[in-house]
Amino acid sequence: MTSQELGPIPKVSTICSLEEQVKDGKNRHLVKCQRCPSKILNPGMAVYKQVEFPLPYMKKKSDASNSTEEEVVKDYWVVDDMYHFENVGFSNTISGIKYLACADCEVGPIGWFDIAAKTSYVALSRVLHGHG
Amino acid sequence: MAKTYDYLFKLLLIGDSGVGKTCVLFRFSEDAFNTTFISTIGIDFKIRTIELDGKKIKLQIWDTAGQERFRTITTAYYRGAMGIMLVYDITNEKSFENIKNWIRNIEENASADVEKMLLGNKCELNEKRQVTKERGEQLAIEYGIKFMETSAKASIRVEEAFFTLARDIKTKMEKKLEASNPPKGGQRLQPFDPPRKPPSWLSRCSLL
Repeated sequence: MTSQELGPIPKVSTICSLEEQVKDGKNRHLVKCQRCPSKILNPGMAVYKQVEFPLPYMKKKSDASNSTEEEVVKDYWVVDDMYHFENVGFSNTISGIKYLACADCEVGPIGWFDIAAKTSYVALSRVLHGHG
Repeated sequence: MAKTYDYLFKLLLIGDSGVGKTCVLFRFSEDAFNTTFISTIGIDFKIRTIELDGKKIKLQIWDTAGQERFRTITTAYYRGAMGIMLVYDITNEKSFENIKNWIRNIEENASADVEKMLLGNKCELNEKRQVTKERGEQLAIEYGIKFMETSAKASIRVEEAFFTLARDIKTKMEKKLEASNPPKGGQRLQPFDPPRKPPSWLSRCSLL
């Protein structure tokens, strides 16, 4: 992952960056795509929550491995109304959930959508946090 | 949480396979990021936020996701649609001829007052052009809809097209609202005015 582009605290440990990024339990900064200028969430639109959920890798780790490779991601921005997103893409349904992707370049999965609960989870580690 | 938008519009992208419907939705690059995972399962819909005349508008945009290959799209897909982008490829005569079939399909399945717009895509490929701009314009006039030539690849007028469609839907909604709720000074039909609907009523056009 690329280093945190903005913010006074360099992203070294999760604790440091969390304090910098969470304000009153919500996202302090804009949430943006890692790859293109697309704006995903405005500040204060999501609630920080620790949930363990496996997400397939955004890039193939190696050509030899198949695309089902995944990692367990723990830190998420929880969005309880899909219209709180500025820009986002929802994948087709697979095993009862939808995966989230950048609306503009379709990089992903950047998170997942719980269809029954209508709740979206954006992985902190798969987006950028910035001021503009 | 306080409402974060003024309007919510459901839009559909319709047209033959390969006309570049999906590319119409990439704003900053010509191609999607080639992730095995997302591209394999495919995108169902996207949410986009635009600002029009100081109003925040959420667009929920659906692609036909290959259904169009069967030359017909089900009623379910059209349900609740307020705007439709009809897309053809200017380098593909057949995709232009099929617009008439798509319009028939829309008339049979979609709400009668759905706002439509015609897009001649891939206009950067002028040397391979099979459909003149005039024919596009003529067809649009025939159906009484707006027309634009776009290039998703060169990001030409794609965003403008979405703004135009959204603006037309917004205008239509405001007119409807005005008609059902005339401004003050109008004729008084009842001894008591019913409570005036707050502006937030508009957000009830939600679909999900």
